[in-house]
Amino acid sequence: MLKSVTITLTALFFLSLSYSQSNRIYGSFESNAVYYQENEEEDYENKLGSNNYLNIKYLFNSNWNVEIQVESYLPRRLQSYSDSFEDTHLSTLSINYSKKNFKLSVGSIYDQFGSGLVLRTWEDRQLGINNSIWGFRTSFDTDNVSLKLLGGWQKKGIGISSGKIAGFDSSITLINSDTKYQNLILGLSYVGRFEMPHYISYDFNDLTNLFSTRLDYFSDDFYFEYEQVIKSKDGITQFGSISNEFVKKGSAHSLNLGVTKPGFGLDMTFRRLENMPLFSDRFEQGEIYNESNVNYLPALTKQHDYQLANINVYESQPNVSFPDPELMKSGEIGYQFDLYYDLKEGSSLGGQYGSKLSLNISSWYNLKGQYTYYPSDYDTDFLGFGEKYFSEQSIEIRKKWSNKFDNIFLFINKYYNRRFVEEKSGEINSQILVIDNTLKLNNKKSIRLEIQHLSTKDDKKNWYGYGLEYNFNYNFSAYYNTIVNYENLEDNKPNYYSLGASYNKNASRFSVSYGKQRGGLLCYGGICRYIPEFKGLSFSINTSF
Amino acid sequence: MLKKIIFCFLVCFFTYNTHGQDIIPNINLKTINGQTISADEAVNKDGFTIVSFWATWCIPCINELDAINEVISSWNEKENIKVLAVSTDDSRSKKRVRPLVNGKNWIFDVLSDTNQEFKRAMGVVGIPHTVVTYKSEIIHRRIGYTPGEEEDLFEVISNYKK
Repeated sequence: MLKSVTITLTALFFLSLSYSQSNRIYGSFESNAVYYQENEEEDYENKLGSNNYLNIKYLFNSNWNVEIQVESYLPRRLQSYSDSFEDTHLSTLSINYSKKNFKLSVGSIYDQFGSGLVLRTWEDRQLGINNSIWGFRTSFDTDNVSLKLLGGWQKKGIGISSGKIAGFDSSITLINSDTKYQNLILGLSYVGRFEMPHYISYDFNDLTNLFSTRLDYFSDDFYFEYEQVIKSKDGITQFGSISNEFVKKGSAHSLNLGVTKPGFGLDMTFRRLENMPLFSDRFEQGEIYNESNVNYLPALTKQHDYQLANINVYESQPNVSFPDPELMKSGEIGYQFDLYYDLKEGSSLGGQYGSKLSLNISSWYNLKGQYTYYPSDYDTDFLGFGEKYFSEQSIEIRKKWSNKFDNIFLFINKYYNRRFVEEKSGEINSQILVIDNTLKLNNKKSIRLEIQHLSTKDDKKNWYGYGLEYNFNYNFSAYYNTIVNYENLEDNKPNYYSLGASYNKNASRFSVSYGKQRGGLLCYGGICRYIPEFKGLSFSINTSF
Repeated sequence: MLKKIIFCFLVCFFTYNTHGQDIIPNINLKTINGQTISADEAVNKDGFTIVSFWATWCIPCINELDAINEVISSWNEKENIKVLAVSTDDSRSKKRVRPLVNGKNWIFDVLSDTNQEFKRAMGVVGIPHTVVTYKSEIIHRRIGYTPGEEEDLFEVISNYKK
């Protein structure tokens, strides 16, 4: 494999020289390395791990292009990434043709139907996700109609999945008025997963079908998006096996609407998921590396940037899971509200420079219904709210006090039901306060001080944290941050810290840091992955060209 | 060992021996009102465009766009500059884009790249990532944002020999 990659890349490079005046090659390189002093993986022999990604896109002309991505895990992958990532391999290869309204791609396909409830193939290096489909895609677009057809095998680690995926997506514009702005779009999609389970004959079909219907309406100050999905009968994966006795249909309903005006925005989302996971390999469900996921079912809660706000994050619960007779779940139901408001400059609340206010409220529950543990079965109510999984209320105010000083004030009230979400024990009520202050010293230099506190009587009790960042100029910054679980006497007040610096120059960034990182769920874009605690020296380089 | 050498060799070759991308690719994006627009058609054909890749959860990105929003009117008195804020929010946080943009009163165009095809095609690894074009041609790129950096961006634009 490596030999063929080398030949292809070298050929592309020499081709590029002949076209160097027209700059037809572009791409990016990213390298993340850690020299471990301490880590949790017992079999981790190598002190040094690194994940490296080189992505190249070559344009032959306006119709043809090729994309290649080579990944290298040398001398070994970073801990907590899939075991199958080793050495150097080709992870993406696609040949793409487009002419006017027609497009055709062969190779690694990245795509999304609607909001991803039936299909999303994408790459997220932080989470170690690359679930592209190795196959083909063709699409045709006109002003009012868009059609897509794709099929193939899904990438799984460095190989491919046993199941095959086929999909069709369409969107049709029903109303498109320019005079008074109005837009109404109907979307219809189909995704089929065909997998013959090994050796055993099951009562359900090898082919699982998902049908999605969407209706989106946009006007100047109002929007509305609704999507409904029906999933055909499929065996439920429990404790790594599938039984003929527990076979259920699935469904999803997602409603999003909002009102916006200058200086004001209000958004509301409702979503109900029942038995909605879809994997190209059925037995991948419940695996920790997020491999073979066909659809995208992220948690619909606010994503936070601050460290203490990322303790006890919610992970969506689309699965059927019956670990014990007191804990039976078949999906999730809940809602989220967001409000944004601009407090104008000169107003009594806005002050001389104005302020920005944002509020978020979200609550997520198990589906209410009749559950029996043995034999396993359930019957849910459509609008029934069962045990609460998670709720959060947050307020954020961004306030500029002068041309040199501004701050962000964030308060979060959170409830997290670890028993139901992680299937461990405990419920945690916590309040988090963050004050993030930035002082500009002159045009180029600035200093940022961030203070955080988490209060809880549950679990491991209170935390505090702070961070200090100094920007020497536009290119160079240094920082130190720490979080301390100061009321956790049982574990001797664990503390985590990081001291680091970064240098940016045009489209390149180099950074180095030393510290101890907290283990737990790393959530990015609503999808979570467990990362173990480690202590060590980290380096990273990324550049786009 | 041979594989490591080959890999490093290829990285060096591609990074230093190519001139880099100079045009905006033809990739479909959505306006916040659901209309489809091609990225190469969205840029300012007569002057400069600042293409800023951001997301609703990225604090430095919002700091950068808030800062540009405050000064863009005065910049436009001196130079013809269009701002395109390309949201890389996926379907989880995309819902927050339109209310946030209105709530913040941003006066520039916001486009949505929900499956990050444009981000991928532009070789963007992390955000904030800002690209400046002059009449469709890429003249400058940068990663990250520190307070006040928008002034440096304007200096790049002002000093560009048209």
